[in-house]
Amino acid sequence: MNLPTNERLLSCRDLRVFVDDKEIVKGVDLEIRTGEKHALMGPNGSGKSTLAAALMGHPAYRVEGEILLRGEPIAGLSPDERARRGLFLGFQYPVAVPGVTVASFLRAALAARLGREVPVREFRQKMQAAFDVLEVPKNFTGRYLNDGFSGGEKKRLEVMQMLLLEPAVALLDETDSGLDIDALKIVSAGVNLAARAEMGLLLVTHYQRILDYVQPDIVHVFMGGRIVRTAGPELARELETRGYDWLADPAPTATARG
Amino acid sequence: MVERMIDAGAALAGLDPASLTAYGDRRGDDAATTAWRHRALAALTAVPFPDRVRHLWRYTDPERLLPRRLLQPSGPAPLAAALPAGPAVRLEPGREPRLNDAARSCGLVIAPLFADPADRELIGRAVPVDHGYFEAINAAAFGAGLTIRAPRGFGLAAPLRVVVAADAGADVLPRLLVIAEDGAALTVVEEHTGGGGGGCVIGVTEILIGANAEVRHVLVQRWADGQVGHLTQRARLERDARFFGATAGFGGAISKVDLGGLLAGEGARSELVGVALPEGRQHLDHHTLHQHLAARTWSHIDFKVAVAGRARSAYTGAIRIERDAPGSEAYQENRNLLLSDRARADTIPELEIHTDDVSCSHGATAAPIDPDQLFYLRSRGLSAPAARQLVVRGFVEPTLRQLPADLRAELENLVDARLARLREVG
Repeated sequence: MNLPTNERLLSCRDLRVFVDDKEIVKGVDLEIRTGEKHALMGPNGSGKSTLAAALMGHPAYRVEGEILLRGEPIAGLSPDERARRGLFLGFQYPVAVPGVTVASFLRAALAARLGREVPVREFRQKMQAAFDVLEVPKNFTGRYLNDGFSGGEKKRLEVMQMLLLEPAVALLDETDSGLDIDALKIVSAGVNLAARAEMGLLLVTHYQRILDYVQPDIVHVFMGGRIVRTAGPELARELETRGYDWLADPAPTATARG
Repeated sequence: MVERMIDAGAALAGLDPASLTAYGDRRGDDAATTAWRHRALAALTAVPFPDRVRHLWRYTDPERLLPRRLLQPSGPAPLAAALPAGPAVRLEPGREPRLNDAARSCGLVIAPLFADPADRELIGRAVPVDHGYFEAINAAAFGAGLTIRAPRGFGLAAPLRVVVAADAGADVLPRLLVIAEDGAALTVVEEHTGGGGGGCVIGVTEILIGANAEVRHVLVQRWADGQVGHLTQRARLERDARFFGATAGFGGAISKVDLGGLLAGEGARSELVGVALPEGRQHLDHHTLHQHLAARTWSHIDFKVAVAGRARSAYTGAIRIERDAPGSEAYQENRNLLLSDRARADTIPELEIHTDDVSCSHGATAAPIDPDQLFYLRSRGLSAPAARQLVVRGFVEPTLRQLPADLRAELENLVDARLARLREVG
């Protein structure tokens, strides 16, 4: 993918997300540029996952404000159209689709992303390359999608899909949760590999743990539906020692970057 | 009840002893056939019209399946349609059954019903004359009838294809008798095609499976729009016999299909799998019965239905384990996927167990597609129709996978064609 360096890949302006008329995300400004790794950290229930799903176009959420993908507004687009334009969401809880094999699903997804049929040989090569990075056993391809997968297997398959589909921007929602240390290292290697390819990344996480392996450029703290602080990687270390409470300022101090 | 019988009798105008005899004469029936028809007619007057309070008929109005032009000669015989490759027989109104060369030379005995005196006592063993109202109509007034016999110890891997052509606007009453003698093995693919507005098929297929014999039977219903029909299939299994039945329901306006296995011999095993994909305003009703009559018998049913548009599916599945069937095992599962707000699926399991020491269980569900599945697939670039198609295909896939490899591809192609169409009509 030929991206101009330092392109604005994903921008949100005053993004608000409503679930059943309840405002969950209360005005977020965010900008992710080429090759940037952002960590969005916050306590449980702060609305992080809602923000990620809304960016992907979850049909149950109503959104106000602006979302730009590479300069184009996408807030009115379906999730599939967003995906075809290069947005990717790695799910916290990838859903099982029984009866649909991993291989047939991946091939349909790759064809949708590339906007053309994918010959078997090309598909196999790309799939194998991505599987190799994630150290996924061969028998994965014949299994039903996420059906009976362990938590770690599901997360590996999410990151594998990110490598296969080569999105412009990936949102990874709690991809580190439920992973043992070995799996965490493998998944992190996949994330780093994708990020080297100029992809923009938003790593949504509750824990600091994955940040030992994936070095973020920018860390946001997300609380009560707002970004309450944005800083460099040192902020993550501070959160590790101090927790989130010290940031729970009743007066919102949302900061914008860029 | 008496009133209902009179109503039904009016609908069956022309079905009286004199016209039945005339019909037989016109067809050149022999005395045994004529006697059978008259016995069936007597049974018909004694068999109660289907009672809609009972589960079996709760969801389908039997009056809508009644033939209206019984015993009428059908129109001019249609142009002879080509027979498929491999052993094949075609039954069509107004013609003798047609066999291709492969069917003539495959080693099975294929003959008109009642042609062999030895078969006469077997007719009605799995579906007796008084099995039910529609079965009695078929017994009295059946048109094309066929016996397919695999002699003792004979095995044929290639399926025999029986194409039963319906006729738009006419009544067609086919009757098949499939016999696997002891130790024999055969596969029959029974395909119901054609027909259309106002046409009615009342079909009966009896399958007699001898000791240690095996029959695989695939029933494909792909009638044209507007066709109605009632199909009954029963397999009767002797000691250590094996039956695999697959059914796929696609076509017609209203159809009721009654499938089952009677496990009469110790150690017999019967497995049924089914897929139905009604759409538009179709009404597809399926009933299954596994009746365990002997010890250590085994049965398994997996029936999947995906209902689109304003279509309706009904499934009633009965398992009966009789007193003389200890050590038996039975499982029945019916899962329904609702593809629209107006689609409807009813499912009723009925378990009747008359002995201890059995293992019997069932599962039944009806639910719309999980929106989380759709969001997940769409987040990978699949359009909403493509995502739905994938979910439905996945829904039926484990059932299709139970089909033997040599029979699977054809059903998969039919399912895929239907799903592609659903995708277009939304």
